[in-house]
Amino acid sequence: MARVGVFVCFCGANIADFVDVPTVVEEAKKIREVKFAVDYKYMCSDPGQQMIRDAIVQYRLTSIVVAACSPRMHEKTFRKALSDAGMNPYLLEVANIREHSSWVHQKDKKAATDKAGDLVRMAVAKSIANEQLHEISVPVTKRALVIGGGIAGIQAALDIADARIPVTLVERSPSIGGRMAQLDETFPTLDCSQCILTPKMVDVASHPFIELIPYSEVIELDGYVGNYKAKIRKKASYVNFKSCTGCGACWQKCPVKVPNEYNMGIDTRKAIYTPFPQAVPNKPVIDAKHCTMLLKGKCGICAKFCEKGAIDFKMTDEVIEREIGAVVVATGYDLWDATPYEEYGVGRYKDIINSLEFERMVSANGPTGGLPVRPSDGKVPKTVVFIKCVGSRDKAKGIEFCSKICCMYTAKHAILLHHKVHDSRAYIFYMDIRAAGKGYEEFVNRAQVETGAVYLRGRVSKIYQKGEKLMVRGEDGQLGQEVEVEADLVVLATAIIPDKENPALARLLGISYDKYGYLSEAHPKLRPVETAKAGIFLAGCTQAPKDIPETVAQASACAAKVCGLFAGDTIKKDPMVSTVNKDFCSGCQNCVKVCPYQAIVTEDIPLGHGAKEMRTVAKINEGVCQGCGSCVAICRSMAINLAGFTDPQIINEIVAI
Amino acid sequence: MKKVTYFPGCSAHGTSEEFDQTVKMVMKTLDVEMEEIPDWNCCGATSAHTMNESLAYALPLRNLVLAEKLSNDTMTVPCASCYQRMKFTKIHMDENPELARKINTAVVGEGQYQGRVAVKSMLQYCYEDVGIEAIKTKVTSPISGMKIACYYGCLLTRPKAITQFDSPEYPMSMDRIVEALGAKAMPFDFKTECCGASFSISDTDVVLQLSGKILEMAKESGAHAIVVACPLCQSNLDMRQPDIEKKFKVRYDLPIFYLTQLMAMAFGYPKDKMMFSKHIVPVDGALAHIGEVIEEPKKTAKGKKAVKAESEVE
Repeated sequence: MARVGVFVCFCGANIADFVDVPTVVEEAKKIREVKFAVDYKYMCSDPGQQMIRDAIVQYRLTSIVVAACSPRMHEKTFRKALSDAGMNPYLLEVANIREHSSWVHQKDKKAATDKAGDLVRMAVAKSIANEQLHEISVPVTKRALVIGGGIAGIQAALDIADARIPVTLVERSPSIGGRMAQLDETFPTLDCSQCILTPKMVDVASHPFIELIPYSEVIELDGYVGNYKAKIRKKASYVNFKSCTGCGACWQKCPVKVPNEYNMGIDTRKAIYTPFPQAVPNKPVIDAKHCTMLLKGKCGICAKFCEKGAIDFKMTDEVIEREIGAVVVATGYDLWDATPYEEYGVGRYKDIINSLEFERMVSANGPTGGLPVRPSDGKVPKTVVFIKCVGSRDKAKGIEFCSKICCMYTAKHAILLHHKVHDSRAYIFYMDIRAAGKGYEEFVNRAQVETGAVYLRGRVSKIYQKGEKLMVRGEDGQLGQEVEVEADLVVLATAIIPDKENPALARLLGISYDKYGYLSEAHPKLRPVETAKAGIFLAGCTQAPKDIPETVAQASACAAKVCGLFAGDTIKKDPMVSTVNKDFCSGCQNCVKVCPYQAIVTEDIPLGHGAKEMRTVAKINEGVCQGCGSCVAICRSMAINLAGFTDPQIINEIVAI
Repeated sequence: MKKVTYFPGCSAHGTSEEFDQTVKMVMKTLDVEMEEIPDWNCCGATSAHTMNESLAYALPLRNLVLAEKLSNDTMTVPCASCYQRMKFTKIHMDENPELARKINTAVVGEGQYQGRVAVKSMLQYCYEDVGIEAIKTKVTSPISGMKIACYYGCLLTRPKAITQFDSPEYPMSMDRIVEALGAKAMPFDFKTECCGASFSISDTDVVLQLSGKILEMAKESGAHAIVVACPLCQSNLDMRQPDIEKKFKVRYDLPIFYLTQLMAMAFGYPKDKMMFSKHIVPVDGALAHIGEVIEEPKKTAKGKKAVKAESEVE
């Protein structure tokens, strides 16, 4: 006879305010198999767990029901309590009376209490049919895949590789470096971005444990934690990297000019190009969309001038496969297009630029040699207006969130402007100054004191042209007055948005993303670098806007997670997997078709004992099965059962209500 | 032949009679038959909606209910204020049937509001329902040579949630119509700035400043004249122009046309039908430009090239 223990949690006020907990306990006690029932304020706390452990021994319980929050929250905690008391952890059932009752029925305490009672009855009935289950061990492929070669991907790859774990780093563009390679100097110390980044880029290229695959994209990911298989498409570069010396003769001679992405389109590059002089790898690729040889079959000048004969116009895309155990996603950010700000004349006035364009101009290796100029006439601006929160914190036009880094980089821009053009003045329109970080507040103060930048608290309502000047009309909220600034150049700190490919990538990897396209972490506070899919981790702005220190910290955290995952030779897996009763299996193979994880294969077994004739039945790979139950639902001969959710368990639950 | 319900509003029978007259001429040419709402009443602008919410809904609602008695499915309104009140009421009634029932009790004698008739400004009707191509085919004497600043004011395209037409900040519909007539629409940043509206009477100084700025920027754009589609815009910019010139010691000499006046001219109606005599700022100077050839200024070096030139010099 089953002996069930029921433990009902108050969850502070979360459950107790809307569910009458003592009544739920009394209801539980009425069930014949329940030998012990009790409530407690925080069942997940140590005293709460101790109550469970003690009761198991004292009342010789055979299964446990905890009525508390979602099993996603504390199932693991309570399973551990069972193991500690010498009980099989899978004899636990969680009745979710918080998310499923108290939180959703806050207006009707009686209904919430009744429902909580029902949920407990169901869980008790199910637990009676629970069986002892044991964790499954699966082998691990100790190689990590890092997607994206910005500072996040670089840092994660280096940290993992330093632990002597092989890393495959896949970068979409011809060079690693990402956004950080486009920056001039970095806040709050004004050290040169290139100077601190390029050594790391070189480290990546020369690290014995890093395989760098540039100009490539991940196109498929199969498998499960510890045993993923990735397909990577290497885009045709039309340059044989093995023989290319990076001499540059090809791009000097190429006659085709294309807007230069690295310089935000301010100047041009050639159709055969390396993105920037410090590129890693420092080998050119041919941009097939613009090369006249590839488009029309005419030209081929680069091939003529290449002494090594490295140009190969017949090269095609190549798909390679890698077996890996974990993935770090670090696809970075983009800038929001400010065109909806029609009152600013975005798109109509050339002298309104975004912050990355400004960054490129003041960069020593930028298109203007480090001097900010007006795109309209090339003149050096004396009065520059910076507008913060363009698109950020603006529900009506842009997006609701704060882009986090603009307050700091705008202060930096004021300082850089002052360094480059001594007799200039910056006017900064802001909503708030968010300078939370080590040395950040001091840095903003420095910008104000050192450069004389005028900080105006208020929004800009209109920008219009008057002669050569852009008239910026806004509010000085502290004076309660309208102000108008005659500007030579306007720089918009537009919102940060995730890479536009993120939703497609998320679907490919089987992870989730939010309404803006940011990839979602498993828990916003306690699991910020993991995704809901085991073995896939997030670093940098792909998860949310971040500055460089934060990005690097998160990348290192990813590396620690990957190293932890690879610490043993096998990883443990929940035993909630499907099994096939071969006697019942008719071999229809519908389960093979519906399995989203390709976990089901077929095998041939003798038709009967000792028979020579064979028949085909389904076979489940325990390591791959994720316990989703699709096969159970589709099986018309009821031959498949999912451990932990067997037919008797489910039927018991239904009968209980 | 299209048919449309017409709500003239009080100004069409007073200060903006020339708007009313030219609208009728233009619509005739465009093969649109206009059917005026019988026994229409005041739309409630601008006092009702600042004093009493229910009244502000009830006044336009009565007109909407009356409009539903006619068979047409669209109503067009020349005055921007009237248009705004009608559309505002329509949207709120359609979104909130409970409110519609409540307000309807005030005008129950006229019938039950159904939300059947679309409300469009004259500009919107010409742009969307008639269309640029149809307007172009009717142009017999193009007004080429004229440089025009199109002024939309604050109510024709704003707020976007109510008007659901064109851009709230930099609309282009009137510019396109003006270009269809052969004129050149100038880039004009102040096309949706506030003219001061009814402060014209209670606090004239505000209007002198706001409208003055609009005139200044229109002049700066190189325009010979300003085109409007709102009686209050017209009266502020036209009637107050001498005061503005006096106050700021400038000379603008910018006649303020109704869009339909220019359309009528391009459609070949004689000049004396336009009631130009009602204008304060004389129109002849601007009209004299008709037929002139506008020389396109040489395209300045593109921004990116300019930047590059600079960097090469470095």
